[in-house]
Amino acid sequence: MAAPMVHFYFQLIAFAFLHQCAGTSPEEFFKSGHTNNWAVLVDTSRFWFNYRHVANVLSIYRSCKRLGIPDSRIILMVADDMACNPRNPRPATVFNNANNQINVYGDDVEVDYRGYEVTVENFIRVLTGRLPPSTPRSKRLLSDEHSNVLVYMTGHGGDGFLKFQDAEEISNVELADAFEQMWQKRRYHEVFFMIDTCQAESMFQKFYSPNILAVASSKVGEDSLSHHVDPSIGVYVIDRYTYYALEFLETVTPGSKKTMGQFLEVCPKYQCISTVAKRTDLFRRDVNKVLLTDFFGSVRNVELLPDSIHLQNATLHTHSEDSSYVKSDKPLNYAQQFPMPV
Amino acid sequence: MASDNANLPGGKITFLLFFALVNFSFTIGIHNDNFSEELYVKPFSSGHVMFHFQFTTVWNVSIDKPESFQHYHLFPKSLGDVLTTYKVKELHLSQTQGLWKHEKWGYPPEDAPPGDELWVWFQPHSGVDQTWADLVNALSGLFCASLNFMDSKSTVQPRWSFRPAGLASEFYSANSRFVRYSTLPREVVCTENLTPWKKLLPCGSKIGLASLLNSVKIYDGFYHSLGVHVRSVCQDTQCLTPATELKQTLTVVYDPTTNKNGKQDWSFQSMFDRTLQSQCPLADTRKIYVDVTTQETLPKFSLSPVPDFVLNQKRSGEERKIAVYQIGNHLSPSSLNLKAMYEEKLTFSNSSLPPVYANRFVTGYGLERGGVTCMIYNTMSSNTTVIFMETVPWFLRVYFSSLRIENDGKEIKPYKINFIPAKDRANPYQMELVFRLFANSVTKITYSFERAFLKWTEYPPDANHGFYVSSAVVSTVLPVASQYTATSQSVSLLEESFSDSSSSFFLRLHTETLLVSLPTPDFSMPYNVICLACTVVAIAFGSLHNLTTRDFTASDPSKRKGLVAKLKSFFKKEKESPENKPDSKEEEIPSQKDKDNSKSEEKDSKKKDGNSET
Repeated sequence: MAAPMVHFYFQLIAFAFLHQCAGTSPEEFFKSGHTNNWAVLVDTSRFWFNYRHVANVLSIYRSCKRLGIPDSRIILMVADDMACNPRNPRPATVFNNANNQINVYGDDVEVDYRGYEVTVENFIRVLTGRLPPSTPRSKRLLSDEHSNVLVYMTGHGGDGFLKFQDAEEISNVELADAFEQMWQKRRYHEVFFMIDTCQAESMFQKFYSPNILAVASSKVGEDSLSHHVDPSIGVYVIDRYTYYALEFLETVTPGSKKTMGQFLEVCPKYQCISTVAKRTDLFRRDVNKVLLTDFFGSVRNVELLPDSIHLQNATLHTHSEDSSYVKSDKPLNYAQQFPMPV
Repeated sequence: MASDNANLPGGKITFLLFFALVNFSFTIGIHNDNFSEELYVKPFSSGHVMFHFQFTTVWNVSIDKPESFQHYHLFPKSLGDVLTTYKVKELHLSQTQGLWKHEKWGYPPEDAPPGDELWVWFQPHSGVDQTWADLVNALSGLFCASLNFMDSKSTVQPRWSFRPAGLASEFYSANSRFVRYSTLPREVVCTENLTPWKKLLPCGSKIGLASLLNSVKIYDGFYHSLGVHVRSVCQDTQCLTPATELKQTLTVVYDPTTNKNGKQDWSFQSMFDRTLQSQCPLADTRKIYVDVTTQETLPKFSLSPVPDFVLNQKRSGEERKIAVYQIGNHLSPSSLNLKAMYEEKLTFSNSSLPPVYANRFVTGYGLERGGVTCMIYNTMSSNTTVIFMETVPWFLRVYFSSLRIENDGKEIKPYKINFIPAKDRANPYQMELVFRLFANSVTKITYSFERAFLKWTEYPPDANHGFYVSSAVVSTVLPVASQYTATSQSVSLLEESFSDSSSSFFLRLHTETLLVSLPTPDFSMPYNVICLACTVVAIAFGSLHNLTTRDFTASDPSKRKGLVAKLKSFFKKEKESPENKPDSKEEEIPSQKDKDNSKSEEKDSKKKDGNSET
């Protein structure tokens, strides 16, 4: 009881001083409008030959974590296991490059929805927040009206749909409605929607909610292409758009001033072969003035105070150790594990 | 620790040190938990090496009183919150990849089936089913595993097989209302499961034995198993108050003979790609044990560095030699890289078989019926009673009448049977058999099943892979601890089990999981499209063709022949043929003909009348 109260008071007082970063007024602190960052990263493909989709989503996961979004704020949905797949010659690794430079799976990964749990229903429920009461916190998108949410989807898609695990599809209308539900429930401040599939532009064409910035790896009628094959694995390891996007993101540090406008220009036609499409009409701010870390990172502006703050001791002594367990008069016994006569 | 300080420069510092020491002992008094980290290394004669990490936290509070779970120190708060919220008394979770080969490797310290296995004893309360459903959801978030699929379709209440492993009253353990057991044979275990498991450790994964856990090497092993076991234990020898024990185990089996020289050489560097550079200061016991029983006999090997001392472990008929290392003694000047160097290449020989082991497999062919056979081997010279538990999913409809237990062709009658048939889409088949295993023999349990049709929405996305059946569990009590490495029930640490004076050893074995194909519809798109298109074409085209090519002509109903007239015309044709016909028939026909003519005349007249009226 004591620790959370003390922590709360400290945070409250520290928060009041945080305006120092930009100016002297709370309005200036809220310049970007968001106070926390969330990411929902979805890979919808199953089977070994879709290795590149898992590598895609893990690349973005790695960038988000590196730039500061903690695991508790990332919902990672991976439809199949590539790292510990029996066909993987290098277990517990997923590389996005045949030269095996970066292990995007890493040593500290938490997948929230894995395998058969990655379904259209679960994805929509995560976005809209309509989950059964027993769902744990790590599987919930607990965003509020000041959250910037990054939504990344990859897999096989077509004109107006995205295929989930070869068994079902999500249509662009459903996705647009899900975002509208989020808007009406005030579950986001701004959304950056990134999608790397074939004919990806079709997925964001039906959006009608405000504050959504979207980028897709290909226009309607075009296929998104994969980058290269790793001969030791025998499958394509990464898609072109995500490969070049990751290359760009690797140059970004948490304090970087790179803008979303620069990110939207990543992967021109000669690199991606497909045309990168974007949608900025629903987004209120000028993309050339929005920081990349507004969506990919979780930058907290911290001010170190030179003076000390005296906090009240609000400890409530609720429990005394003596009453923890009343000693029994008879000695306790271990249960008999084999209840049959030997 | 403060006492390690060699220099005491002045009075002021001495006073501070004294104050720190007093403070330290005072805090020890407040914090009533202790933590130990141990590593047990055992080489096998098949060339493999087992590394068993055990991290034990014992907290002197009772799990029966959830309000005492406050002021967390070494016990992880995330797990403690889950245990108290869902009224858990005992929890055993294992996440395993690979199959433990009992014939080659003996018995592991913690036996686990491939995939995930979870069994929980709850505090007595009503609505255990709902609590179980909520608990598996909470654990799925905590361990990043799909434990939420452990719903009623795969959950059973074992009656005799999974009794509490800790303190419990007789009345409570005999009541299987509060236990739930479920497995997920398909579940994959990867770094995403190791990460949250490591985060439960007090020292994390940066220092101590947990720093050896390199996921890239562990998941490259032959077999790996993560375990989390929570139970009530005695606080002291008098056992008047219970304590809560959390045991986190990780068992990895490697095959070092695949290196260049073919010898069974192993070391921390070659197995984990790391050396041990630190020890966890929060741990009371920090030790490494290596089983050196076969060190002097073939295959000979030497350990480097030299162990602190060698223990003789005596466990009722089995003597083993254990080399013990106190980690703190070996960390300076450089890190500890425990090495074993063998003199010769590995020679493959038949290792001695364990007392009891089992194999299970599917029999039959086709997609309609099948059978399951389980062979349990008893290599001891004494009989033993065994409890055999099976959980079969509802879509493999088991014929209870086909269940047979045979030993050398003779049928054995089980002492007890607990068979609960399945309910479609609700409960699985649950079977527990208690029977006698005769000495030096093989007992075969067989039963047959029929495969059901599932609804098309119930197939997983990769339906042609097949469906898994959980491992069977064989429980027995061994009179000798032959190749037995588990800790005894009344102690927590591995080293406390080395001097074990018990004469009976509880053994739990898991068999293989089974992969069964069900009749699966063809979900492939082109085939369905072709069928549908062809059907539409056939119906549409056929009807159109009929409509466009058939010529419709009006027919006169009066000229329509009745049945009698048809017969008449048929016989008329016959008459013209040279065949014989009876005279009577010829006579009949003219009379029939007259009758018909009169009938048709009447009809005609009626019609004429009708016509004239209109």
